[in-house]
Amino acid sequence: MMQYPKIAIPPRSEHLWRYTPWKRIHPTKVEEMPNADHILFSSGEDSAMDDSDEIARSFIHSISSVCKLVALDDELQELDLRCSGHICAGEINVKSQGNSTLIVRISGDAGWTGIRLSGEVKGTLSVAVVNDLSGEGHLLRCEDWAVGRDSTLEFATLSAGGFLNKSDIRVNLTQTGSELRGGIASNGHNSRHDDHHIEITHKSKHTYSSLVMHAACDDSSHSVGTGLLTICEGAGGSDAGQVFRNLLLSEKARAEAIPELEVLADDVKAAHGAASAPVDVNQIHYLTSRGLSREEASALIVEGFLMDAFRHVKNQDVVATLRTRLLVHLECLISG
Amino acid sequence: MSGDTAREVVGEYQYGFHDPENATIRFDKGLSEQVVRDISELKNEPEWMTEVRIKAYRRFIEMPMPTWGNCDMLNQIDFDAVTYFLRSSKGTENNWDDVPDDIKNTFERLGIPEAEQKWLGGVTAQYESEAVYHSIREDLEEQGVLFLDMDSGLREYPEIVKKYFATVVPASDNKFSALNTAVWSGGSFIYVPKGVHVAMPVQAYFRINAKNMGQFERTLIIADEGSSINYVEGCTAPTYSTESLHSAVVELVAMDGAKIRYSTVQNWSANVYNLVTKRGIAYANATIEWVDGNIGSKLTMKYPSVLLKGEGSHAEVISVAYAGKGQHQDAGAKVHHLAPNTTSNILSKSISKNGGRSSYRGMLQVTPKAHGCRSKVVCDALLLDSDSQSDTYPTMEIGNSSADLEHEASVSKVSNDQLFYLMSRGHSEAEAMGLIVNGFFEPFTRELPMEYAVELNRLLELEMEGAIG
Repeated sequence: MMQYPKIAIPPRSEHLWRYTPWKRIHPTKVEEMPNADHILFSSGEDSAMDDSDEIARSFIHSISSVCKLVALDDELQELDLRCSGHICAGEINVKSQGNSTLIVRISGDAGWTGIRLSGEVKGTLSVAVVNDLSGEGHLLRCEDWAVGRDSTLEFATLSAGGFLNKSDIRVNLTQTGSELRGGIASNGHNSRHDDHHIEITHKSKHTYSSLVMHAACDDSSHSVGTGLLTICEGAGGSDAGQVFRNLLLSEKARAEAIPELEVLADDVKAAHGAASAPVDVNQIHYLTSRGLSREEASALIVEGFLMDAFRHVKNQDVVATLRTRLLVHLECLISG
Repeated sequence: MSGDTAREVVGEYQYGFHDPENATIRFDKGLSEQVVRDISELKNEPEWMTEVRIKAYRRFIEMPMPTWGNCDMLNQIDFDAVTYFLRSSKGTENNWDDVPDDIKNTFERLGIPEAEQKWLGGVTAQYESEAVYHSIREDLEEQGVLFLDMDSGLREYPEIVKKYFATVVPASDNKFSALNTAVWSGGSFIYVPKGVHVAMPVQAYFRINAKNMGQFERTLIIADEGSSINYVEGCTAPTYSTESLHSAVVELVAMDGAKIRYSTVQNWSANVYNLVTKRGIAYANATIEWVDGNIGSKLTMKYPSVLLKGEGSHAEVISVAYAGKGQHQDAGAKVHHLAPNTTSNILSKSISKNGGRSSYRGMLQVTPKAHGCRSKVVCDALLLDSDSQSDTYPTMEIGNSSADLEHEASVSKVSNDQLFYLMSRGHSEAEAMGLIVNGFFEPFTRELPMEYAVELNRLLELEMEGAIG
């Protein structure tokens, strides 16, 4: 029995739905269950996923006709997600062990894309997710990660494509010694609206997390970064940090940051920070005095700023992939 | 329920004594449109104020409870069990000797007249719904400074009150501002003329004495161009096993170049719901400072806010919260940068102990026209045991690319190194903890008048007793 019709539409007073309400990200009318094409996966075995009582996850599950399992065992895998058609959707199960790397590229010209990912990490998994969708597409992305004992998830995402994006990423540090090192870079241009919600839950003692989100906002783009960092009762000895930074490049650009913190255990270290600032005119002056055009200088500063979001990511394959995609994207913006 | 049993329920509390109720007028419990009309009639208010109250009452009935803060605690409030008006004395006295003896004794135990003689420019003492004593230094009166209780302010200066009342905090702002606007009684009314600097602080002291009492004072402070004032308020209530409700509204208006500092040390007993709306408007080059200490109450939801409406205006919010057993301090600050070159600083510090919960909830907004704004928010929290909780819910909305904003927050426990260092110098563990906590709150206490700072440190020491072991 489908859960979605039974789930109440969440109010905007909820942290998660404040800036991109469910009505806005739903592809049609909220009570409708549209037909969807399936995402073309470059690899993976057929699999299945359970329904969810969370509205976005349940919706994607209800309209998806494909679910793939990506199993990684001490290896590097690239996974292309080709999204086309009016509405398309798909689900992915990731199971990883050993020291593995997964590079996911989301591309295509679909009008609306829904992706639900569920991952289990044993050992170390480095993930790069690149949103390279065409400029008119809408993306709803829900991810749930469970990081096991003494395991590490390195999570890096570059969000540069699509017109309206909402990402809801939840990471559970379930057992002692589990760790998250996360980096999110969002480049806003034209009227792009990019909303990232990241929930990190420290469920066990001696768990560690660090998250950096950098958003560069140009033209009349709008970036939203909301985070909820929870250190549960009994998760003593945990260490958590979150930083949200926004670089505002234009008069009409907007940025929102809400890094929330809930601490229910003592003997922990928990910190978060948020900052917003314009481009330093001295940096622009320095670069233009060395022969760069204003656009090139600005792009170079944006590149440095966005790549700095991945400072905690140790996997160089992941960092190199993201840098390449970011440079291509910035080049395309400059050349129009 | 006996006093001892009540203390068992809500804990030890220094100002938990109470006097017999000698009410001259006491309304029945519960709220209706008739109660609102009766309050207005009793006070001989002008018709426009009665209308404002009635409209606000209707808004209160329509509006839902806030869906944030502590919904469980909020939903426990029984509005029908609250007494909305209680008059304890025949009127507001200007001579301390004329105050009824029982009330005088209460305030003498709280040290009010002594403080007035030593270091205050004026004082208002509110007991239940209305002010019972009021005085102002003659030199300030000669300079044209108006400092009255709000009821007298409305009676004597209706044109000023009408001009500013509910313009900063409208009744429709939230359910509790609607409630306050409907049933307000007492509070302070201050007008500082152009260019006048009130050097000594003026003080208001709010005391709830009766059981199930609701105190709804309304304070309006207007600092005209180039003037300044420092206003201090303190709050206590007896320890009963049943709950009381304190829902105040404070409106500040700082004209061009004016400065208002509003300091609060809230030490309600742990059976009081403290749901307060405080907001100020700062015009060009004006400064509004909120210095806010929350030690007591069962649930505090209070977010002093400033609308920076004039170019070059500045907001400063320093708040500390202590959440002990059964307490939730949901405090914070809101600053809206509406004009260019406005600046703000927010410093929030909290301590949670014995299962208490402290939350910082903040809003920092920069509108598209507000060029060149700068703001810094710092939240530090200390957790003293594993049963307690600390949360931070900051919101930053930036609509102008030239804004320079920073927010940082940290939660930690008291460092063992610091404890060890102090204990190696001969302090007991409890003393060492007390010193660390006082040091943690020092950025707040140094902004308070000295007597308040000393009192706060003493209160914190009392609260910290038994924190170790």
